[in-house]
Amino acid sequence: MRRALTLVLPSLLLLAACDGGGGGGTSATGAFDPATCQGGTLTVLNQGGITHLDPARLYTSGGGNIPSLLFRTLTTRNRQPGEAGAKPAPDLATDLGTPSDGAKTWTYRLRDDVFFEDGTPITSADVKYGIERSFAPELPGGAPYLRDWLQDAASYQGPYKQPEGIKAIETPDDRTIVFKLSKPEGDFPFLATATQFAPVPKAKDKGVGYEAHPISSGPYQVESYEPKKSLVLVRNTHWSSKSDTLRYACPDRIEVTAGLDAAVINQRLVSGAGQDANAATTDAPVGPEQLAQLGTGGPLDKQVARGEFPATYYLAFNTKKAPFDNQKVREALSYAVNRTSVVNALGGSTIVGSSTTFLPPQKALGYQPYDHFPAGDTGDPAKAKQVLAEAGVSNLTIELAHSNSDDSGYGPKVAAAVQEAFKQAGVTVKLTAIDDATYRDVTGKPATEPSASLQYWGADWPSGGPFLIPIFDGRQIITAGGNFNLAQYNDPQVNAEIDAINALTDQSTAQARWGALDTTIGKLALTIPLAHEKDVFLFGKNVKNAVPDGWRGTYDLARISVK
Amino acid sequence: MRALRRDRGFLVGAAIALLMILVAATAPLLAAAAGQDYTTYHDNLLDSARGGVPLGRLGGISGDHWLGLEPGTGRDLFARVVYGAQVSLGVAVGATILEVLIGLLVGTAAGLGGRWADGILTRLVDLVLALPILVIAISLLAIVPQDWPRPLLLATVIAVLGWGGTARITRGETLTLRTRDYVAAARLSGAGWFRIARREILPGLTAPVLTYAALLLPTNMVVEAGLSFLGVGVRPPTPSWGQMLSTATTWFRADPMYVIIPGGLLFLTLLSFVLVANGLRRALDPRQSEVLR
Repeated sequence: MRRALTLVLPSLLLLAACDGGGGGGTSATGAFDPATCQGGTLTVLNQGGITHLDPARLYTSGGGNIPSLLFRTLTTRNRQPGEAGAKPAPDLATDLGTPSDGAKTWTYRLRDDVFFEDGTPITSADVKYGIERSFAPELPGGAPYLRDWLQDAASYQGPYKQPEGIKAIETPDDRTIVFKLSKPEGDFPFLATATQFAPVPKAKDKGVGYEAHPISSGPYQVESYEPKKSLVLVRNTHWSSKSDTLRYACPDRIEVTAGLDAAVINQRLVSGAGQDANAATTDAPVGPEQLAQLGTGGPLDKQVARGEFPATYYLAFNTKKAPFDNQKVREALSYAVNRTSVVNALGGSTIVGSSTTFLPPQKALGYQPYDHFPAGDTGDPAKAKQVLAEAGVSNLTIELAHSNSDDSGYGPKVAAAVQEAFKQAGVTVKLTAIDDATYRDVTGKPATEPSASLQYWGADWPSGGPFLIPIFDGRQIITAGGNFNLAQYNDPQVNAEIDAINALTDQSTAQARWGALDTTIGKLALTIPLAHEKDVFLFGKNVKNAVPDGWRGTYDLARISVK
Repeated sequence: MRALRRDRGFLVGAAIALLMILVAATAPLLAAAAGQDYTTYHDNLLDSARGGVPLGRLGGISGDHWLGLEPGTGRDLFARVVYGAQVSLGVAVGATILEVLIGLLVGTAAGLGGRWADGILTRLVDLVLALPILVIAISLLAIVPQDWPRPLLLATVIAVLGWGGTARITRGETLTLRTRDYVAAARLSGAGWFRIARREILPGLTAPVLTYAALLLPTNMVVEAGLSFLGVGVRPPTPSWGQMLSTATTWFRADPMYVIIPGGLLFLTLLSFVLVANGLRRALDPRQSEVLR
């Protein structure tokens, strides 16, 4: 979900959103052995992130990249390339959880051999306390799901104000934790990868000050941390690779520097001077400078990782406002859009692909191809004009809101490409730039929502639910702000189908039904899907095993080596 | 005038400057002659897999696209450059005219006014001169509504923040001129201050102010380019040279022509105005010409 991404980039360490993935390094991968990869210092060069380090405040997809070096969660992403990587895997827990009561109750058993950085064994009470903290208004920023899903937890104010805790989380013994949900949620093992599921020892909790040195359960612990600037991680000696086969933890030391310009980061990765040869990035995708050097058989082709984070760039209509209450108008514009221009505005076909579906093309999300309003690669203005004429609409002028920053993926360049394509169909577009910092606030409040806006939506976890529910579930229209159902679409039948799929614990059945639901809703042209994200990230020439996982499309710091 | 006609630097500068002004004035005609406009995307002429670099050599220069294409969009660069000249020159000329008007008004008022008027106006000029133009212009331009006409707004903002120099020069010259006998004669014959300013002082100000204006013009072009570069200039899809340079920062290696063309034009235009200004100064200021010969 997009929610995730916006918060993530600013508030976590680059974990969640979109790190580019690895695919490259084929030569290095062959010889890579996790048993002998230890040693060296990995440098991480980033644009943003490390604003917060408190697991309660991080909004991550699959536990994030940097956060998952520090925090183990009940489950975690499987950290494999391709489809296998789009699945959760046990982390602190011994399995993916046992559903009962029709997926309304989830029971986990913790491993026996897991410890905090001070040697204290991790207990189910620590996991429960970590989750309760994330409800505290003092520690905002995490994903909203737990509040929605846990029984009677919606108004819980965190352990500082309500030390009695959340009744829906039970810890019958030190190793067992039971979650009681208000409705069936087959995706619970995916949610349990979030950093809110990281254990926090109550005795060490300092409230908002905890993030200065969060107690590690993962392979590394904090040596020094300066928010938004730098983070140095060293080995956590109480972590053992026997208890954690997913994280290889190769470098002895990881030094993160944030606040750098993307062009500078990529230039440093290309030139690889000194320590930069051991550098990687989790939030600076390649720019045109490097794209021009890629695929030419040059040395850079060995330093690139290509993956796909499931995310869609799209144009959102507010169907409560004219003229977009008229489905014919929405259809006409769907015919008019020129996806080639949009793709080029977003950086070209290497880093984005054009989309006619709302779900991005990942099987894990239930992707089913469809193209209800075939516009070809460059749009069909004649067909658009014809549909408008049939609807009796002429001399159409519309307003399109966009962010004032191109970094967001919904900035002026994309807006101008859409404007030009609609012009070919005789539709005049007035562009409204909104400051990037407040863009989500303005578009996410039905009272201030523009009639049409450019948007981006990424997956909190690789499943159809978090991708479709906030956008199309009529019960998710939030009038107070933070709304993502921008069409303000509310169809009881669709809502019922969403509930039915949520109850499924078999992912392949759920996938087929999410895909079918996307296909059905697509006929209404509530959005114009424009493009889906691809992730192309560079890494330093000494970096090995930079393979993107199927969950986040980016290489995993827990598995790369600089030895 | 004769001196100017013999001044080679001035002649070259004037020729280029005139050419640029002509280009800006006839931008729609030139674009039409090339068969292009500045908004149409040519996606088929871009290498999308490599980020949207124009296909072909030298940034896609061809018979159809005389200066190639804008990377990422495929808009015709020739059309964008000539329309960009309109914005760049228009804003610079507009701002300069406004600055000269305000400067003349304040400068003569200070020079001819009493001690109090002079004191207050001079402090005001000091204040304006001390303002960090770019910083204030960025904040001003960021808060005004987006549907205001941008070029006009740019010219106004630049002028409002940049008239201090003209005012100071005007005041200095006015203070010298008011002590001249013919001004005294005019006063004795009963002329009012306004008449004196208009009939006696203003003609004497022409040379220094004209020279100063010719130097202001390139400065204002740089400011406009700077503001557009920083993203608070004209709104897309209206092109300006500064804006092109701004987007070119991410392309300078992949498509050098996209930097060279607007950058080169900006350089040439600035150079030509500086040559013109120098020529004017030499010609209009006899002392200067003696020193230099």
